[in-house]
Amino acid sequence: MNIPTLKEAKDLLVNSQVWRSMFRGGTWKDTSRDRAQHILGNVWLHLHPARIRQRAVRFTYTWGLGGLSFGLFMILVVTGVLLMFYYRPAVELAYRDMKDLEFAVSLGMFLRNLHRWSAHAMVLLVILHMVRVFLTGAYKTPREFNWGVGVVLLVLTLFLSFTGYLLPWDQLAIWAVTVGTNMASSTPLMGAEGPFSNLVGVTASNDARFALLGGTTVGANTLLRFYVLHCVAVPVLAGILMIVHFWRIRKDGFSAAPLPGDAPEKKMEVWPNLVVREYLGAILMLAFLIGWSVLVNAPLEELANSGVTPNPSKAPWYFLGLQELLVYFDPWLAGVLLPGVITMGLMAIPYLDPDPKNGVGFYSLKERPFANSVFLFGIVMWFVLIVIGTFMRGPNWAFYWPWESWDVHNKVPPPRTWNLIMVDFSELSGHFFTSQKVPGLRVAGPLGVATAFAAAGALFGAYFGGGLLFPKLVKGDWPLKKSIGLTAMGSVLVGVLAKAAHAFLFRFDFISKNIPHFGLTEISYLAFFLFVVLVMAFILPQKFLRKSTLSPLQYGTTMMLLLMMLGVVLKMAARLGFNIKYLFSLPGLNLNI
Amino acid sequence: MADASPSSEPSGPVVFLKSELTRRSLLAGAWGAFGAFLVASAGGAARFMLPNVLYEPSQRFKMGKVKDFPLGVTINKEQRVWVVRDEKGVYALWARCTHLGCTPNWFPAEVRFKCPCHGSNYNLDGDVIAGPAPKPLWRCAVDVTPEGDLVVDKSQMENRPGFRDRGSFHVMA
Repeated sequence: MNIPTLKEAKDLLVNSQVWRSMFRGGTWKDTSRDRAQHILGNVWLHLHPARIRQRAVRFTYTWGLGGLSFGLFMILVVTGVLLMFYYRPAVELAYRDMKDLEFAVSLGMFLRNLHRWSAHAMVLLVILHMVRVFLTGAYKTPREFNWGVGVVLLVLTLFLSFTGYLLPWDQLAIWAVTVGTNMASSTPLMGAEGPFSNLVGVTASNDARFALLGGTTVGANTLLRFYVLHCVAVPVLAGILMIVHFWRIRKDGFSAAPLPGDAPEKKMEVWPNLVVREYLGAILMLAFLIGWSVLVNAPLEELANSGVTPNPSKAPWYFLGLQELLVYFDPWLAGVLLPGVITMGLMAIPYLDPDPKNGVGFYSLKERPFANSVFLFGIVMWFVLIVIGTFMRGPNWAFYWPWESWDVHNKVPPPRTWNLIMVDFSELSGHFFTSQKVPGLRVAGPLGVATAFAAAGALFGAYFGGGLLFPKLVKGDWPLKKSIGLTAMGSVLVGVLAKAAHAFLFRFDFISKNIPHFGLTEISYLAFFLFVVLVMAFILPQKFLRKSTLSPLQYGTTMMLLLMMLGVVLKMAARLGFNIKYLFSLPGLNLNI
Repeated sequence: MADASPSSEPSGPVVFLKSELTRRSLLAGAWGAFGAFLVASAGGAARFMLPNVLYEPSQRFKMGKVKDFPLGVTINKEQRVWVVRDEKGVYALWARCTHLGCTPNWFPAEVRFKCPCHGSNYNLDGDVIAGPAPKPLWRCAVDVTPEGDLVVDKSQMENRPGFRDRGSFHVMA
């Protein structure tokens, strides 16, 4: 009997009844029809179109970010399931199992590294994917809903990371989750330490944190709960949403949204052009992560100890922006309200678009100056906070420049802070310019309470009301560069005037003790932040939104989101430059802004 | 329908049912029942997540002989309590930052507790002197047994000036 050549052996195999029952399609003749049939007839590939616009295949259009995010999710599922074989979610065992994975299990360390680094990469790529979709206008009609699904997937990605890092039961685990779940207890009405919760009988043993922890402190119940959330509940939910996400991509005509007005574009065959690129991207990413995981070990701190918090205690990078934000705002704002508003605001973006046909399908930086400025401002702000938290915070969360050594003892203690307006229900009075040591101005009785509420109403009313109104009041067309220049000069002028006013008011205790010094630093703070806020909240909206086709509701929502984002900047400036802790404080109801 | 039925139906309730039970009202009732079932399920699921029995350490514990606590701060990491003795007596601070629950560290040279998580600073009274914490530190109720043991009870706490300086929150011992 002749020994068959390789080609004969292959033909024998491919034409056998077994092979043909698995893979249909007859002899491969490499025709256009064959290539389309290969996509359509394959359950794994059929989410692709048979043919796709050429622009979508270009790497620098999508950067492969969505597909790579999904690839990372698959790596995480595989490595996660493998890690589950050696890990037991019990307080006495979890950390020991981590040590076993590191030192006693073949490839245990490598798999844990790969799991950790893939998770970090997934957070980064999901964020970048969102930025890419925004910059190419790919969230616009008919893709609004899918953008919303994507935002939820981003939140779930972060929640998966959060639930995941309790599991090693080391110091980072227990303290990050302590901080994170205490934010839940500052939820208005639903958290024991949040605003208004004392009015509805919510306590530490029936609030949102209690449900999350399964107790009052991070303990055995918490570990089990987070294990179930991390390994079952959230991945299943994320998987379901991914199915919806991908299905909608298909139904909405795939990536590289059609350019408006143009004739139908040239398309290319997905097999092999796109599929090859996808596999190449996945292989390169996997190779990079394998190399990274061989070279760099995932950190594992000491065994969890509820009595000692590491100093400084830092969350993983993607939560350090939030951690830094918590320095300037009470947890119900920084940890609950702002993340909620950011999520809802992101989902609202496609519905706040004055011109859904403008700037779709390419990097439309010039075509959409307002949308891109506002969105990128938010993204940059978030990463600035991350950089501050990562590189400029040392022991006791004190500020250190990256080149400074973390010397605890030479560090000047943080300055005393003061509150602009405070209402004291217990002794029925209103306070202005007050702090622990400085009584400030005190107005007693119901009149004082009323005055304080009126002042707070005026303060926030002026900011939000004025912010909504002023861009609409402008008459005529202001040249952009000139108005920005004038704003800069005006901001410096206000800074200098404030310096003069401070010199005049310095003889009053409530000013001299709360703002003991008003020099070049303070003037620069005031001028810089005033300039940023005026440009973002007034100059740009009057230029680009005033005459747009936005309905009053759309305009109001856009401006409120913008004003809240800039309010965060202003409050940070107030804290950093002038040591103002609260603009308005109502301690009786845990309500501090 | 309501007009035709009374003669053949002897009793009230049946007439009521027969006159009211249209296809529309039956479906409305069914949808209502389904809605009620969903609400009850959500409520039940929420309640299910709140455990009834906790296996957590006792909130009330002995800390040793009260006379052994010197002037100043004694740190107990196991119970997460700082025992402070001043001229007037002894009080116990719960070593939990009122911001987001980390354990601050004691810096004797600066007479401050400093939190490592977001930088809150407290003085010896427990009042916030810097950083984002919204409230003073909590003081636990303290008691001295006839044998001279200091007993701390974390289930009773107080942080308002005035109230925290008297009674069981600041004992002479």
